[in-house]
Amino acid sequence: MPYREKTAWLSLIAMAVAFGPYFTFTLVTAGSRPAEPLPNLRQLGLYALTAVVQMLILGVGHLYLRNVTPADERTPSDVRDRAILSRAVTFAYYVLIAGMIEVGCFMPFSSSGWAIVNAAILAIVVAEVVRQSVVVVSYRRQA
Amino acid sequence: MEGSISNRIRTLRFHNGEMSQAELGQRIGLTRQTIAAIEAGKYSPSLESAFRIAQVFSVPLGEVFEWNPKQTP
Repeated sequence: MPYREKTAWLSLIAMAVAFGPYFTFTLVTAGSRPAEPLPNLRQLGLYALTAVVQMLILGVGHLYLRNVTPADERTPSDVRDRAILSRAVTFAYYVLIAGMIEVGCFMPFSSSGWAIVNAAILAIVVAEVVRQSVVVVSYRRQA
Repeated sequence: MEGSISNRIRTLRFHNGEMSQAELGQRIGLTRQTIAAIEAGKYSPSLESAFRIAQVFSVPLGEVFEWNPKQTP
C-alpha cells in the first residue's frame, strides 16, 4: 500500500474517532437542554478536546508509519501522486464551498451561535473526509 | 477515436536482469506503485516518463508502448 494511502487512511480514522463522538454528542444534547449563552465554554472545551484527540492520533500514527516504513516515507511524491492529490483537493474544494455558502449565506437567517460554528466545522470535516476518500479510492483503483 | 494503450514493461524488465519495479521507478523518478499502475494499464504516464522508461531499456518508445484502436464493427 502506498505511503500516501496509509496516511489518508490515518486521517480518516482520526477524523472518525475524534469528530464522530463530537457531532453525535452535539446532536444528542442539542434538543435536550436550552442553548447556553456565548461563548459556551462547555462546547468550546468539547471542541478543544476533539481537536487534541485528532492531533494525538495523527501524531502517533505518523510516527508509527514513519518507523515501520522509513523508506516509503522518504520517497518523494511523483507526478501520479501529485495528480491524485490535485483531484482530491478539487473535489474537497467544491464540498467546502457548498458548506461555506450554507453557513455564511443561509444559516444566519435561521440559526445562531454554536449551531453556525458547528455547521462550519462539519463543512470542513466533510471536505477533509472527501479529500482523503478520493485519495484512498484513487490509489485503490490505481488511477 | 477510442482505444487503449498497452505496454511491454513487464517483459522488458524481465529481459533486463529481472529489474524490479522499484529500481525502474527510482531510475526515472516514479514510485514503485506508479510503475505497477502503468504496467497494469491503469495509469497512462506522461510523455516524458514514457520516454524515460524507453531510455532505461534502450529501446524506441514504440517498443514499450502501443496504441490499440478500438475495433468498430
